[in-house]
Amino acid sequence: MNTRSHRSRQAALLALNVVLALIILVPFFWMVSVSLKPAAEPFSIPARLWPENPTFDNYITAFRPEFRTYFMNSVIVSLSTVIITVSLALLAAYAFTRTHVRLLIIAMTLVIVTQMFPASAIIIPIYKMMKGANLLNTYTSLILAYVTVTLPVAIWMLRGFMANLPLTLEEAAAIDGAGPFRTFFEIIVPLCRPGIVATAVFVLIVTWQEFLFALSFTSTKEMRTLPVGVNDFIGQYGIRYGELMASSVMISMPVVAVFFFLQRQFVAGLTAGAVKG
Amino acid sequence: MILASVTLSSVSKFWGSFVAVEKISLAMADGEFIVLLGPSGCGKSTTMRMIAGLDDPSAGEIRIDDRVVNDLPPGKRDLAMVFQNYGLYPHMTVADNIGYPLKVAGVNREERERQVRAAAERVELGGLLERKPGQLSGGQRQRVALGRAIVRTPKLFLMDEPLSNLDAKLRVYMRAELKHLQRDLGTTTIYVTHDQVEAMTLADRVAVMANGKLQQVGTPLDIYNTPANVFVAGFLGNPPMNLLPIAIADGRVQDSELTLAAPAGVNGAITVGQRPEDMRLSETDAGNMAGEVYTTELLGDSTLVTVKVGKNLVAVKTDKNTKVHMGENVGIRFDPKHLHFFDTTSGTRVAFDASR
Ligand SMILES: Nc1ncnc2c1ncn2[C@@H]1O[C@H](COP(=O)(O)OP(=O)(O)OP(=O)(O)O)[C@@H](O)[C@H]1O
Ligand SMILES: [Mg+2]
Repeated sequence: MNTRSHRSRQAALLALNVVLALIILVPFFWMVSVSLKPAAEPFSIPARLWPENPTFDNYITAFRPEFRTYFMNSVIVSLSTVIITVSLALLAAYAFTRTHVRLLIIAMTLVIVTQMFPASAIIIPIYKMMKGANLLNTYTSLILAYVTVTLPVAIWMLRGFMANLPLTLEEAAAIDGAGPFRTFFEIIVPLCRPGIVATAVFVLIVTWQEFLFALSFTSTKEMRTLPVGVNDFIGQYGIRYGELMASSVMISMPVVAVFFFLQRQFVAGLTAGAVKG
Repeated sequence: MILASVTLSSVSKFWGSFVAVEKISLAMADGEFIVLLGPSGCGKSTTMRMIAGLDDPSAGEIRIDDRVVNDLPPGKRDLAMVFQNYGLYPHMTVADNIGYPLKVAGVNREERERQVRAAAERVELGGLLERKPGQLSGGQRQRVALGRAIVRTPKLFLMDEPLSNLDAKLRVYMRAELKHLQRDLGTTTIYVTHDQVEAMTLADRVAVMANGKLQQVGTPLDIYNTPANVFVAGFLGNPPMNLLPIAIADGRVQDSELTLAAPAGVNGAITVGQRPEDMRLSETDAGNMAGEVYTTELLGDSTLVTVKVGKNLVAVKTDKNTKVHMGENVGIRFDPKHLHFFDTTSGTRVAFDASR
């Protein structure tokens, strides 16, 4: 009896997993498939799951000089955001977990409240500020906006992680004569590495795919990032699906690679912060 | 030599309304080995943490070398501490853990390696220097923590149950090693334990604590021979002192299985005490009391006979070849020279005139 219900449970879970995997993977598969089809094929009837004559032509067209500019812009903006956000979040999370000042605890809660506003609601005021500061169409405007958006979540991710570090370690460091900065950089930060990796990957994903701010704040091709740049293939008279999908695949690759190499640490980081919150 | 005296004056610690440590006053001399002894939860670690500067005293004053240190951060107090839960840095190797205080102090790499190796040798960790704490057993971790403390020559050692996780053999060895080390360095040492054997063997003086209060301070022999109250009498010794509540009036024990000539000045509700090794078994009618043998345990060098007298169990340590059987009736005789009397209500020792 027991083992039978156990087994049917297992089967149900497996089925659920397959369905979830399909929901996630089918669009991705479709993206790859379309990117490999020659220009005439995407809308040929009957529709094919996989191109009859796969070709890399779309990739060759998509990998134009503009793409390379967009790519560099994305790298600069995303990496800067990751570095700034994670650094600030580490300091803030440490302060928040190691203080018992009531005011700071209230501030910590307010930090998460900022997440309640959708990007479309804050974009206009931020745009006005950027304009006032003469920062429109610069990396700085995007980096500042992205740090604003990602910092609260990053603080909370790292806070959960740091709250679980035993206090004894800092006490031991204090006895050993280490000051607060030394303790922070030599004890706390190294021990938070899984949490730092998880937070950095999260920030990277958010900024790498961000569209709305990038579209609003940049006006010239030289400053565009990848998600906006892909739009070049969406013209007034039609959409060039083959090149569009080829670009999308190329955009996804760096994130997929990061995930691939860091996935063990990433998962460890997520759960380590989550178990005892 | 750099030595330090430590003085606690009326030091208390409250956690909310809970009193963890209550008005402890204690003066420790230069180079002294003091053991804080008491049952779990009595405030030993809290007292030590206040001396280290990790917790602030709620009241009272702590002085190191006549300097009030209440507001001095731990790093400025020039002390080394072994934490009850080790407090090792998980991302550093054993060598880096032990060498961390030296690194912070700016000792150069070569000198550091030499001192780390010497300290590791002392705590028998020579072969494990490149491991991470996660790859060590509890006892090995504890020795790393010990190594990190002794790698320096601070003014003061604080050790919170540093041997609790070692196996019996290693514990005896490390105990001797610690005692030697402390003698060699002459460093004032405060040592927390709930193990009375450790306290007796290591301490110059033992401070017995219970419920956040200091019960008695004295040499191991002092507190063993002259316990200041019922708690200390019942805490020390294995098995501890037999304690029998009785009533004494006009020098006579009233309504009791016990016949005893009470000394002058001992009156009222009294708890009479005697250690198991001071008692003798006798014929049923030749002792101060009689009862039925409850258990006999061979301890190796002696036999422990527990006798049921009225409602009380009385332990008597006898020769290892003693032949008595469970259920047998025996008498128990006190050694009049080693009697202890305590006031039952307050628990404190009652002094009496032994010359009578
Ligand atoms: N941070 C804290 N908050 C509240 N109560 C505490 C705190 N730290 C300790 N206590 C309480 O204070 C009392 C004394 O604790 P302490 O750690 O000093 O005991 P101990 O004598 O070292 O015991 P053990 O032998 O088990 O280590 C305990 O009852 C404990 O529950
Ligand atoms: Mg303790």
